[in-house]
Amino acid sequence: MRFEPHALDATYAALADPTRRAILDRLKEESSRVTDLARPFTMSLNAVSKHIRVLEAAGLVEREIRGREHRLSLKAEKLRAAAEWLEPYRAFWEERLDRLEELLIQRRAEQGGSGER
Amino acid sequence: MSDKLEGRGKSVRVRRLLPATAEEVFDAWADAGSLKFWLCPGATTVPSAEVDFQVGGSFRIVMSDGEREYVHTGRYREIRRPERLVFTWSSPATGDRSTLVTVTLQARGAQTELVLVHEGLLDERAVEDHEAGWSSIIEKLDSQLR
Repeated sequence: MRFEPHALDATYAALADPTRRAILDRLKEESSRVTDLARPFTMSLNAVSKHIRVLEAAGLVEREIRGREHRLSLKAEKLRAAAEWLEPYRAFWEERLDRLEELLIQRRAEQGGSGER
Repeated sequence: MSDKLEGRGKSVRVRRLLPATAEEVFDAWADAGSLKFWLCPGATTVPSAEVDFQVGGSFRIVMSDGEREYVHTGRYREIRRPERLVFTWSSPATGDRSTLVTVTLQARGAQTELVLVHEGLLDERAVEDHEAGWSSIIEKLDSQLR
């Protein structure tokens, strides 16, 4: 991801929904089968699956398939990154300054190489 | 875009030792050509930068990640070559709210130390999803994960 401030967008969007937050809340206790996870919700299994897919796409949960059983677990590091919301701003400037440094080195090399230009 | 700072929020501070004089570093902030090279990521796209480098002058820098374009705007508040540059900064990442960037440069032998402070940063989640309070939920989840 080149532009870090947006790297967390998917995470933010995923967390902005109450059902998905409830799913994460349950998964932080322990990993769970998809069917067990869906049970307490009033919506259909299909609807819950959709929410789970959003969480997977955001990298917040992980699906392990054992035979016919789909088990979900929480991916802690991504959630931690989302909690550290200032980090992307720092990363943005660090990356930009890497590039500034590159430019300055390049200019210095040009000056040295081309004599009196 | 409002130029008014909200006067709250948090800040990040980045420090870097650069292999150039303070003047050279400062000038890399001052012209559109340089800014296009280092401030706009992505070699495959053609970013644009319009820069009116004077106090009260504004800039408009478009960055692209190949899919979307991100417009960054701001206004120069203080220009003191070669040691200090202050400008407002508004971008999708700041929720298009005005924030403040202060760049200070100091010679360190043949190199230059750059310190950048970006302040007035607000937590998007706290702002946009206040009712749901999901930033507190993340914090709760997060503290249990530690």
